[in-house]
Amino acid sequence: MSIQQTATAPAIAQTQTNQKIMTSTSDTYKTVGRNIIPNPKFSTRNVNVFYGDKQAIFDTSLDIGNNEVVALIGPSGCGKSTFLRSLNRMNDTIPICRVTGEFTLDGEDIYAKTMDPVLLRARVGMVFQKANPFPKSIYDNVAYGPRIHGLASNNAELDEIVITSLEKAGLFKEVKDRLNAPGTGLSGGQQQRLCIARTIAVSPEVILMDEPASALDPIATAIIEELIDELRENFTIVIVTHSMQQAARVSQRTAYFHLGKLIEVGKTSQIFTNPRCELTENYITGKFG
Amino acid sequence: MSNIKLVEKNLKKRYARERRFQLYGKMAVLTGFIFLALLLIDIISKAMPAFQATEILLDIPLDHATLELEPAQKLDQDTLSALNYAGLIKTALRQAFPEVTNRSDKKLLYKLVSDGAEFTLRDHIISNPELIGKDSISLWIKADDDIDTLFKLETLTSRVKPEQVAFVEQLKQENRIATHFNTTFFSNSDSREPEQAGIKGALLGSFWTLLVTLLLSLPIGIGAAVYLEEFAPQNKLTDFVEININNLAAVPSIVFGLLGLAVFINFFGMPRSAPLVGGLVLSLMTLPTIIISSRAAIKAVPPSIKEAALGLGASHVQTVFHHVIPLAMPGILTGAIIGMAQALGETAPLLMIGMVAFIVDVPGGILDSATVLPVQIYLWADSPERAFTALTAATILVLLVFLATMNTLAILLRKHFEKRW
Amino acid sequence: MHNETPLKGHISKRFDHELEDIRNRVLTMGGLVETQVNNGLKALLESDSATAKIVAESDYAINSLEVEIDERCVQILARRQPTAGDLRLVVAIIKTITDLERIGDQAEKLGIFELELIDEGASSSQFVKLEHLGTLVSNILHNALDAFARMNAEDALLTIAMDSKIDGEYEALQRQLITHMMEDPRNIRNTLRVSWCARALERIGDHATNICEYVVYLVQGRDVRHTDYASLTQTNDD
Repeated sequence: MSIQQTATAPAIAQTQTNQKIMTSTSDTYKTVGRNIIPNPKFSTRNVNVFYGDKQAIFDTSLDIGNNEVVALIGPSGCGKSTFLRSLNRMNDTIPICRVTGEFTLDGEDIYAKTMDPVLLRARVGMVFQKANPFPKSIYDNVAYGPRIHGLASNNAELDEIVITSLEKAGLFKEVKDRLNAPGTGLSGGQQQRLCIARTIAVSPEVILMDEPASALDPIATAIIEELIDELRENFTIVIVTHSMQQAARVSQRTAYFHLGKLIEVGKTSQIFTNPRCELTENYITGKFG
Repeated sequence: MSNIKLVEKNLKKRYARERRFQLYGKMAVLTGFIFLALLLIDIISKAMPAFQATEILLDIPLDHATLELEPAQKLDQDTLSALNYAGLIKTALRQAFPEVTNRSDKKLLYKLVSDGAEFTLRDHIISNPELIGKDSISLWIKADDDIDTLFKLETLTSRVKPEQVAFVEQLKQENRIATHFNTTFFSNSDSREPEQAGIKGALLGSFWTLLVTLLLSLPIGIGAAVYLEEFAPQNKLTDFVEININNLAAVPSIVFGLLGLAVFINFFGMPRSAPLVGGLVLSLMTLPTIIISSRAAIKAVPPSIKEAALGLGASHVQTVFHHVIPLAMPGILTGAIIGMAQALGETAPLLMIGMVAFIVDVPGGILDSATVLPVQIYLWADSPERAFTALTAATILVLLVFLATMNTLAILLRKHFEKRW
Repeated sequence: MHNETPLKGHISKRFDHELEDIRNRVLTMGGLVETQVNNGLKALLESDSATAKIVAESDYAINSLEVEIDERCVQILARRQPTAGDLRLVVAIIKTITDLERIGDQAEKLGIFELELIDEGASSSQFVKLEHLGTLVSNILHNALDAFARMNAEDALLTIAMDSKIDGEYEALQRQLITHMMEDPRNIRNTLRVSWCARALERIGDHATNICEYVVYLVQGRDVRHTDYASLTQTNDD
């Protein structure tokens, strides 16, 4: 995998001079890089998100391919979380939030009247910044999704789903003797992996992660990152992260947001070695004022 | 002067201020504690006599001649209830004091025992019919309330005659007068005679009233809280409802009583003095408390748990019923119990709907006439007999015990169900 | 401190693979370079024009490997932010491949000189004088690559010591060649070629020494460049 990534990177670097593109942050702007790709899993066009009178996302278009990890980075308040939450209509729960634009998952309009948000969220799972296991047992945490969606017809099937999910989340070995212990009794990193297990128990196609490791210590973070890398084989993952290093480590493509605008999208290897926009360069090199 | 010197200079002042503040706090707590202690000591010391009843040991003749019964006569219920128990007690008293012959002295002698003594004797005989025919049995008979006060508190009142004091002295010497635990207090209902009065009726009245209150206010309160917190659209109407719920909590309770009188009794024609109406009125009063505390509990459920459920594809209703309500339950229950405790201690609205009547019967259901503990206290506090003072205090104590138990229960429930997240 | 498998055991298995991959590529590059040097020597000593041609034309493979490894190292620096042993490995590799590439250039020179010689139809008999120096250089290069492959600092230090022998041999050879030129000026043209080859071989020895110094840096974390040999052998314990 890494061979393919790196082989194309010099090509990009050679085709252009190192003159950075000064992106205007005025109302009209154009995203730099390949924000539109062939055969996307998720496709968004001209997305605008408003909180009341305040606009949080401006005219953003971004495609997400199958089985890739796309990292959304940018300074606080740049709209990356808002964008992420509009992908599974979590913004619907905020009354003053208004979303416009085209969102398609496998070509299906997810904001269509016929699309049930409950069904959508079964297809597009979400992992949150703070590990938020239910105050129930480890087993019940993972079994909750399959239960409400009726994915298992009997207890044996449910057991199977729970165990497979915990295994995929790399947690089964650590908790197999205490599946009935409360999920809240686990360590922070284990709780977050429990939340990931809970999400994949519903067999979503896409997993959205909102700063999944921001509250964890470096080792727990590394374990989560390794897990994300493994999950990529079966899921498409969009991750919002405050840590540029994390984006560099886990993602194949990186999208840089700035003040609600998608400034630059590109292969992670290119973004972190030779970004094309000055804004991106300033942010990832820590010169962002 | 350097900064550090300035800081040093002010440091002493700052510490002194902090110490002063702590001292004020300690004094405030101490004052509150002293008042509480005084109150409790006063009530307990006043209540203690009520838990003890003075009783006189009488040898009651039960031979057939005295009872005017044929030895062969069948002893059925009617015969037994028709016996002259009052006469028997008088006979026993005369036998205990053979030297009393004077008619007025005899009257005073008869007044040593409670008016209810004959019923005690009757109940004893009816439950033990085999005693009939024996020469005599020894039985502790309740003393009259004045004698009770005289014996327990050793204070003379104008209601006790010197002859009676002499009788008591004589009984004392013969070890025929003593105090025993007052079971009557818990097994009888209200009575005009303090030594016969108990709180069973009021207790059951409180029970039925609270049952109605609980069954009405808990589901309605939780339902309203969940709807307002989770589902209600954010608009002017919702704001209006919210403001009014908060206002209702501040309405004087007697207004609810007037409302109950006007609506439930006069308009709907429900029975007066019934726990049903009392419960309805108290529900109106506790609802705001329950709604406000339930909303606070629901608001305290971390949004991350709601998001987790929504993110897994749970619907809004599922999220609320699977996660929000169970997590808010300890808080809701605490609020409900505190609301119930408030209702248990409430008097004013119940006065308005007639639960202040003198009721001797123990209520058997929510439609029977009844009174409640705080009203009973109010009634007895008004009574002239000295012994009622002790009964009042004792009832207050019982009420306090119930309130404390309910509050403890609230704390225990919260501790037990509270989960970490 | 000295981890037996310093490349293994990261939580991220992909990182393990990436480090292992660049190391393997460096070994491949080392193998290519060694073959080039040995072939160059063989061409010189045996006047083998076919081998000389191969040597002169094979350097591009080494160069493209250098570019590739460099790019990979940059990716690792950018995306993994390596630290400690990992960082030393990446830095050592970036430096090692530069030296390897230069060795490759020198080996290429050997082939080109031989081809020129053959073009001019001159005798290459003088090149046999390089045999001893060539063997020494071939050995030092082999040892250096071996030390790198096994990440063995002790071997690397021993190999560094070998360089003085090469320098001595080179000096002696130069004197011999100068004498030769003074004897008969007609020899100068050919002798100069031999001298340049000797110079190339001596440079290869220096580059191999550099690689050994990087191995010491990689394993022990100390910089032993520009220090004399006596202080090198003392293990640095602070």
